[in-house]
Amino acid sequence: MLTLIIIEVVIAVAAWQLSGGGLIPTPSKVLQALAKIVQDPGFIDNFFSSVVLTIKGMFASIVIALIISYLSIVPFFNPIARFVVKCRYLTLTGLTFLFTLWTKDGHDLKISLLIFGIVPFFVTSLLSVIDSINKQEFDLCTTLRMNSWKTLWEVVIIGRLDQVFEVMRQNFAIAWMMITFVEGLSMSEGGLGVMLIKANKYVQLDIVFGTLVIIFLLGIFFDYILGKFREWLFPYTKLQTRS
Amino acid sequence: MNANVYTKSAPLITAEHVGLQYGEKTILRDINFCVHDIHRPDMQQGQVVSLIGRSGIGKTQLFRILSGLMKPTAGVVKIDMDQHPVKAGEVGIVPQNYILFNHRTIYQNLKIGLDNAAVKLTESEKKAVIEDYAGTFQLTEHLKKYPAQISGGQRQRVSIIQQVLTGNKFILLDEPFSGLDILMIDKVIQLLLKVSTLHETNTLIIVSHDIENATAISDTIWLLAPEEGKEGATIVQEYDLCKMGLAWQPNIREESSFQQLITEIKNKL
Repeated sequence: MLTLIIIEVVIAVAAWQLSGGGLIPTPSKVLQALAKIVQDPGFIDNFFSSVVLTIKGMFASIVIALIISYLSIVPFFNPIARFVVKCRYLTLTGLTFLFTLWTKDGHDLKISLLIFGIVPFFVTSLLSVIDSINKQEFDLCTTLRMNSWKTLWEVVIIGRLDQVFEVMRQNFAIAWMMITFVEGLSMSEGGLGVMLIKANKYVQLDIVFGTLVIIFLLGIFFDYILGKFREWLFPYTKLQTRS
Repeated sequence: MNANVYTKSAPLITAEHVGLQYGEKTILRDINFCVHDIHRPDMQQGQVVSLIGRSGIGKTQLFRILSGLMKPTAGVVKIDMDQHPVKAGEVGIVPQNYILFNHRTIYQNLKIGLDNAAVKLTESEKKAVIEDYAGTFQLTEHLKKYPAQISGGQRQRVSIIQQVLTGNKFILLDEPFSGLDILMIDKVIQLLLKVSTLHETNTLIIVSHDIENATAISDTIWLLAPEEGKEGATIVQEYDLCKMGLAWQPNIREESSFQQLITEIKNKL
């Protein structure tokens, strides 16, 4: 499989190189731009600004989403959780002005928008995890004489923690994708998104593609790390059920 | 041990006019049976009874009603010496797919049973009890494994012991022989017989469509089937295998009377 991937990547890069030279910079130019970006004194600051903002936003979002999702088990809160799920269809652009009025500075604005953008996706995935719980697990808890709180803890919270982690891993991509958008709303703190906007503004397409490659590779790296973390924290997730 | 010497005393589980209806559709109709406490000299003799019926007849619904997880639309199920209406949690269940907590090791799964038992034990006492049961039921080497790492038969054993450790005297088993090979079925039968003789009032209720294996292990059989011209399944026949001299005999399958009984049951279903 790995060999196949390598062969296909080589073919794609070769095709890109041979067909390039027009509007889209060739891989060699992107590589040169990449070296220039990494050597730029402001790169590390921009890089950490984006990573820290994403982690902060992700952490707050997962806490809020977990609270909403766990509360959805209580009938009163279920419609609220279902409404949050529908908020995926709200566009952030239309709400930016409102959030600007509500928040005290650019950093808070970015975090708030990030949370508002991510939470509905998290809640959607978490509700589907909760919905897919086998009802027999609740029956088992009843026959083991567990009370409602113990059942909630054992089946929904602890029992699905590995899946929460998986949801977090899958939705990290959404957070990472949104970061470039929210960074553009308040550029004073810098970030990879700011780098992209500036490069776009001056039509430095090689820098744009170089930055995109960095964002892409970082995303894959975080995805891999979170996947490994999940295997380490929850070893049973890797196991295949024997018949 | 003479299988003919036994007495039956107080009722332990009684189903009185149990019925289940979904809208206009009758699933179960006027189900009546009673499991009595069986005594045999010089031993702890529990009860093993089977409800046999064809697939899709409503066995699983009856299973849930008997365990208190579902309320019947008519009638009542009473349990224990005082014959009080069954409440969820008083009857243990072992579902067909042996549900366990997949995020916990076998040791932790068994400990959950003890954590919620009526008798409170210290951690070291719990450890000793679990190790004792694991040894008896050949699970010692699997205690540190997760449910996904053990076979279906082993998961079934853990599931049964988990219920025993919770202190449930009444355990319902949904299709315990389903999907197991012939050697595993023999092991399961040995396990169930062992559990049934752990305590005088231990009562195993097997809900199954496997006539031969269910009959071989039981002291009483009830056939669940629809009656002609009537909607919904009910008990159409009771076989008291103690009275028939077919209970508690290890080589019962070799008896011609047993084979005749199996044929008779097949014809009635």
